[in-house]
Amino acid sequence: MPLPAFTLHRPRSAADAIALLDEDCLAYSGGTELLMAMRMGLIRPTALVDLKRIDELNTITLGADRLLIGAGASHDRVAGDALVAEHAALLATAERLVGNARVRAQGSIGGNICFAEPRSDVATVLVALDATVLLQSASSRRSVPATEFFLGPYWTAREPGELLTAISIPLPAPAGVYLKFQTVERPTVAVAAVALPEGGYRIVVGAVGDLPVSADYAQLTAVDAADLAARVEPVSDLTGSERYKRHVTEVFVRRAVAALAGGR
Amino acid sequence: MRLTFDVNGVGQQADDVWPGESLLYVLRERMGLPGTKNACEQGECGSCSVYLDGTLVCACLVAAPQAQGRAVRTVEGLATDSAGGLDHIQQAFVETGAVQCGFCTPGLIMATDDLLANTPTPSDAEIREALAGNLCRCTGYEKILDAVRLAASRRTEVTP
Repeated sequence: MPLPAFTLHRPRSAADAIALLDEDCLAYSGGTELLMAMRMGLIRPTALVDLKRIDELNTITLGADRLLIGAGASHDRVAGDALVAEHAALLATAERLVGNARVRAQGSIGGNICFAEPRSDVATVLVALDATVLLQSASSRRSVPATEFFLGPYWTAREPGELLTAISIPLPAPAGVYLKFQTVERPTVAVAAVALPEGGYRIVVGAVGDLPVSADYAQLTAVDAADLAARVEPVSDLTGSERYKRHVTEVFVRRAVAALAGGR
Repeated sequence: MRLTFDVNGVGQQADDVWPGESLLYVLRERMGLPGTKNACEQGECGSCSVYLDGTLVCACLVAAPQAQGRAVRTVEGLATDSAGGLDHIQQAFVETGAVQCGFCTPGLIMATDDLLANTPTPSDAEIREALAGNLCRCTGYEKILDAVRLAASRRTEVTP
């Protein structure tokens, strides 16, 4: 079924793209979520801005104390990048597990988080890594922590005229594990467990509720899996009831803690 | 708009294409290449897998203008034997009985080709991961896994 009519813009710079964006003119990168939502009639943009030919959105660079990942980089690109592997290996781990081979080849990391599907693998890990996102409009530029960027299902702090240009991960990024339980195309429960560089540990439970739930602990032994499972707000659906998902959450938090303690 | 691109090694042109058409639609309805199947149109079933400049993609999630000036390879372009013979992956699917209704088969064959190009001797876990986004509602996948193992073993023999 063809999509409703729209105009396609193909700028070569981020500035030109940003000048075009508004409520009816949306950024188009991998299209794995956007075109689907358009086909289902959930959104009806009159114009799309193709970002794929903008090189500056596809770079991954190392700054003095941050790793900067261009929003247009595909999941495969991030998963296979040497800088990501060296400085933020947990993100590479999660990116290797996103969707399926075609989604990883087409979909971009920026598109993934702007769509804000609550079961995003990327979102869970970005919260664990204390990442911020860079939002740029024609008149302003701001940096928003991942925890403040995600506001709810399919809802972020990004304004219509803003383009998410890059994801910024502070270095050294914590090392850790990412475990998920998944029976369909997205996880039922995802858990990131990391050892924080300044000491202590962070557990982030994603996918099971509307937003990732994050908790920091001084000691790994202080992690209370049952407490975390009680704090998430699971959404009952075909992949399980609320009670079942709380159970799976508790099990996966325990497994993640054991894996982190075991150095895996 | 006029779309000019390469399909299975041959330069092609389509006129009056409008941006809302998918690459899948162009291939099937304008190029007369029905091997690439149209099923979920959501990027979840893998039936429309094609190569776009060598990258495995869902043709349903590529807007037609994205293919401008680029090279597409479909299941019809997999076999290099001009006499109409089968590619070794296709042959493996036939021999192991990995085809029932056949609707998912072109996508699975493209995904297998991509897997073996990057991982010539995949483990069972790697095969399962690579094919995780290709849905078959008939065979239960066991024979499909057999087909991939057979194709991998032959590929290893051909290109050590």
